[in-house]
Amino acid sequence: MNGVETAPVGGSTSPVANRRGVSVLSERLIEWIIRLCGWSAIFFVLAIFFFVFREAAPVFGELDFKEFFTSPNWRPTSEVRPQYGILALLTGSLALTGIAMLVAVPFGLGAAVFVSEFCSGKVKETLKILVELLAAIPSVVWGFVGLMVLAPLIMRSTGAPVGVNLLNGGIIVALISLPLIVSIGEDALKAVPDSYREAAISLGASRWEIIYRVLFPAAKNGLLAALLLGIGRSIGETMAVLMCTGHAVQIPHSLLDPIRTLTATIAAELGETVEGDTHYRVLFVIGVVLFAITFVVNLVADIVVKGVRSERTVRFLRKARQ
Amino acid sequence: MASPEYVVLAVEAEKGGEHRETVATLEDALDTVRHLAVEIVEGGRKPLRFEIACTTPGVKVRSRGTPRYRFFVNARGEGAGGDGSELDPWAAPDTAAEQLAAHHRKGVLELREGQRIRLVHHDTFGATSLERRKKAAEGLARVVFSFVVAAMIIPVLAIIGYLFYRAWPVLSWSFIFRNPEAYMTAGGIWAPLVGTFYLAIISLLIDAPIGILAAIYLNEYAPDNWFTRTINLAVLNLAGVPSIVHGLFGFGAFVLFARMGKSVLAASCTLAVMSLPVIVTSAREALASVPMSFREACWNMGATRWQTIRTIVLPNSMSGILTGVIFEICRTAGETAPILFTGAVFYYSGLAESGVDWLLPYGLFDTCMALQYHLFALTTQVRGVSEEIQFGTAAVLIALTLCINSVSISLRVYLRSRKKW
Amino acid sequence: MDTHVVFDNLTVAYGDQVALQDLSLEIPRNQIFGVIGPSNSGKTTFLKCINRTIEFIPSARVSGTVAIDGLDVLSMKNVYALRRRIGMVFPLPVGLPLSIYDNVAYAPRRAGVGDRGELDTLVERCLKQAMLWDEVKDRMHMLGTKLSGGQQQRLTLARALSHRPEILCLDEFSIAIDPVTTMKIEDVLLELKEYITIVLVTNLVQQARRIADRTAFFNNAHLVEVGETETIFASPANEMTHAYVNGDFG
Repeated sequence: MNGVETAPVGGSTSPVANRRGVSVLSERLIEWIIRLCGWSAIFFVLAIFFFVFREAAPVFGELDFKEFFTSPNWRPTSEVRPQYGILALLTGSLALTGIAMLVAVPFGLGAAVFVSEFCSGKVKETLKILVELLAAIPSVVWGFVGLMVLAPLIMRSTGAPVGVNLLNGGIIVALISLPLIVSIGEDALKAVPDSYREAAISLGASRWEIIYRVLFPAAKNGLLAALLLGIGRSIGETMAVLMCTGHAVQIPHSLLDPIRTLTATIAAELGETVEGDTHYRVLFVIGVVLFAITFVVNLVADIVVKGVRSERTVRFLRKARQ
Repeated sequence: MASPEYVVLAVEAEKGGEHRETVATLEDALDTVRHLAVEIVEGGRKPLRFEIACTTPGVKVRSRGTPRYRFFVNARGEGAGGDGSELDPWAAPDTAAEQLAAHHRKGVLELREGQRIRLVHHDTFGATSLERRKKAAEGLARVVFSFVVAAMIIPVLAIIGYLFYRAWPVLSWSFIFRNPEAYMTAGGIWAPLVGTFYLAIISLLIDAPIGILAAIYLNEYAPDNWFTRTINLAVLNLAGVPSIVHGLFGFGAFVLFARMGKSVLAASCTLAVMSLPVIVTSAREALASVPMSFREACWNMGATRWQTIRTIVLPNSMSGILTGVIFEICRTAGETAPILFTGAVFYYSGLAESGVDWLLPYGLFDTCMALQYHLFALTTQVRGVSEEIQFGTAAVLIALTLCINSVSISLRVYLRSRKKW
Repeated sequence: MDTHVVFDNLTVAYGDQVALQDLSLEIPRNQIFGVIGPSNSGKTTFLKCINRTIEFIPSARVSGTVAIDGLDVLSMKNVYALRRRIGMVFPLPVGLPLSIYDNVAYAPRRAGVGDRGELDTLVERCLKQAMLWDEVKDRMHMLGTKLSGGQQQRLTLARALSHRPEILCLDEFSIAIDPVTTMKIEDVLLELKEYITIVLVTNLVQQARRIADRTAFFNNAHLVEVGETETIFASPANEMTHAYVNGDFG
């Protein structure tokens, strides 16, 4: 036995326990500061809604909401009769999002599948880093690319008179949304347990069959969430759209039509308005509409992803009770 | 009713030599297959396939169409097992006959009139046609997906390359360090560059403490109830709010309500609110990567929750938190929409050419220039700006973003390799 | 019997599931008190109530009292001071991602000990008591997480001793370590019991027989029997006890 010295009796008389310990009070104080910071997210979401609504509210009485939502005539600066119909702007936003998703989803999901299933090790790391770097490029740079690089290209290849249009904006916004779709899609595929893949392989399935018949159905909630978040991003994009879609307030009839989205309208016109006048307030109303749209899209995305978890939980609970 | 008879057919690989025999029962047919196989092999030849057809006497055997059963033998197959399927063939006709007889005794294998059993005989190392098809499909899948990724990456790299190519004539140290001149049509980009840094640093100072503490709350303190779920939902939704709506919020809340006026402070606060959710989320991930057992060990020694966080959890997740913070701040520092109405201006008078005022041109309550806004205005609102300057501004902006993000990513990779547990 | 800890009608439930039902028990001072029983019999819950780490389980509901030297633990205000009086060793070895020195110095530092000399003495003493000193004295700056399982378990013991506890609880400490280390730690416990009350929860029935002075047998959230170790093993009053110690179940 190595000599173990007999230590004095422990407990509340021991020197260690007697020294400056932590007061329960200071611990509570720190806890409250942390708690308030934790609640801040809710506070900020409510604050955003509140302050945007606050600037918009005074105009609610005089705004004809039927015209607002159904008329394509957006003429706020008309001296004869200002019109505040956002239908053209709304369709512009939706058309842009549609085109962007049509381009981004196949490429984005394809890339997600490639990174998740066909790569490993260094190659995978490198590709993931490339995607992250892509995500970091500011949207104004993309707008610049659309304006200076893509527009001339479009004009040359299609003979269109103007290169800033729905097509241009759609491609650029697709490029902006790509990294989001790739990384969320890759997460969704990564979450599918390896045992699914192994089971399929042992049944003789080829890689393509595994992806198509096993992975996509298993990851469908996550992939759907990727799509929805991509949609949310596209609807909310401002600067790139402002620079590459032209300035025509019209319902688009072809890919080569210039359009205006809800976001670009606010960005382009708010600076010209007088604080407090109707035009100014209606722009804030558009802000409320945008907030509502993206809120709903994000809520649905959240429910869709949670749907997997709660399904699993319910199944597990049912089993546990047997 | 005459009882059925079984016609056995053996076809050889070379010259298509055929043997035919008729027997009374299926067992006999299988035996015949066996001895025919031996005959052929001993004769130095290779069997191609065997067929057993069940017919009524006098009726001609139909040898067209798909047989009722198809089995496979591969003499060079692996192992003594196999179940006769194409992917897992039997190793010899003997085994095949035995197994088929066993199946028949069990009642699993029944042959009715007009039906046939075909036993295909391979003698190759190579893949069967099914395997070859599957391999081809896999190769194709790989090519298609690689193409998709290449189609994404190559154009992007090309675009970035083109930007630098067009910017080249104008890129120089003086471009970076001189202020814009002649109503922004000439000169450099120093003041906007500094402005972007101002916004980034100040929003970082606001965001980092709140975001990290919020992440600590959510990961270390928050109980698992509906309120916490609401907070999580709020974080997600905050992340999805369009940047222009953040700009509207910033205008209403900071510029007007808090009376900051259009200023660096108001713009930084707006950017801070915008980047908060991502900072909270990435800080949370970093905190969650610290194993629970460490915390429990500390609690059992009498440490309080905060002491545990301060001494064990935070230090061991700080690297992850920092890289997340740096990455997100860089991303939002490049955003234009939130600062359009809250602090950014295009024309700024009274810029100094040297000295402290050159280095720090803005006060907290001044408006400021910002590189991202500068690019936007240069390309859409000013006439007479050479394209080189426009491309140069874009190039510097991209280079800045890519550099800082590369640094943060390398930091993360480096730190991950120095794991402490 | 000089009583140190008294349990009076302690009942613990996790949601609907009862983990301990009306537990009444006395633990004498400066002895090794063994607790045996099959899994899910409430042994770990029992330990968690002593130092109130039961509070970290959100669904836990506790009623009854646990008194140390007459003071009810469950209603004490300063739970941190309480936890410093109790040392805890878990089934799975845990080395904190600090140097070995800092591992052992952790608790004293939190309690306010700052003097380097004092800490040096304390760290050395605890590591010697835990039979780890000789193996690590030349590499005190090594990370605690890089030690072997057996060493980490002894490190945990050293940490538990570093805040001079009056009660030392061990929860199936030998599960993840080798027999040699287990023996070493058992020897340490026999020495420590001179001045520390030791509560030893174990799934190794023979371990209790070897070193425990008194033993309690838990089964299915109830205390079945408690008494002198020899009695429990040689001539238990309860049939179930007899079955368990003879390996008929569990």
